[in-house]
Amino acid sequence: TTGLGGSAVAGHASDQIENMVPVKDRIIKVTFNADVHASLQWNFRQQTEIYVVPGETALAFYKAKNPTDKPVVGISTYNVVPFEAGQYFNKIQCFCFEEQRLNPQEEVDMPVFFYIDPEFAEDPRV
Amino acid sequence: STAMNFGSKSFQPRPPDKGSFPLDHFGECRSFKEKFMKCLRDNKFENALCRKESKAYLECRMERQLMAQEPLEKLGFGDLIDG
Repeated sequence: TTGLGGSAVAGHASDQIENMVPVKDRIIKVTFNADVHASLQWNFRQQTEIYVVPGETALAFYKAKNPTDKPVVGISTYNVVPFEAGQYFNKIQCFCFEEQRLNPQEEVDMPVFFYIDPEFAEDPRV
Repeated sequence: STAMNFGSKSFQPRPPDKGSFPLDHFGECRSFKEKFMKCLRDNKFENALCRKESKAYLECRMERQLMAQEPLEKLGFGDLIDG
């Protein structure tokens, strides 16, 4: 489990995913925002919103384009609102936290593979 | 977004469990992504109805070294393994 404060325990996450049971009656709408730092010359946008339930892995996509004629390296981080929900939002894999380099005029799909912890359904604050 | 805060709770981003996806520079899995997106559009963006398509996209990545090999159960697709 992720526990309070949201610190995931490495190595247990896969076990949790394998054994977690979707909470099918708790539908959550996840929308994605995209902000780009003024000095980063990428076009960056989300491609969808998605309805998920806690305990079910889900996929979403951003699209990034380098409109310039030079390679551009960028790095992304993320934020989750509301704050109380953030500790339940687990990214299994994404494009974030590592530098990514886009070649001139290159456009790529950038996936986010995530799930919302089933314990979300038990938290009275969310 | 990051911000300097004094005494207020702030969100602490955590790195993803399995790290970063390499970029699909050649669009090798683009058709799988398109199938998934079409499924979402056809199903009111309900993830539960498009899990076969998302599994197929991730399998495409794994087959092309665009994602570390992972047993499907550990990606939450245990119920779809024969599908």
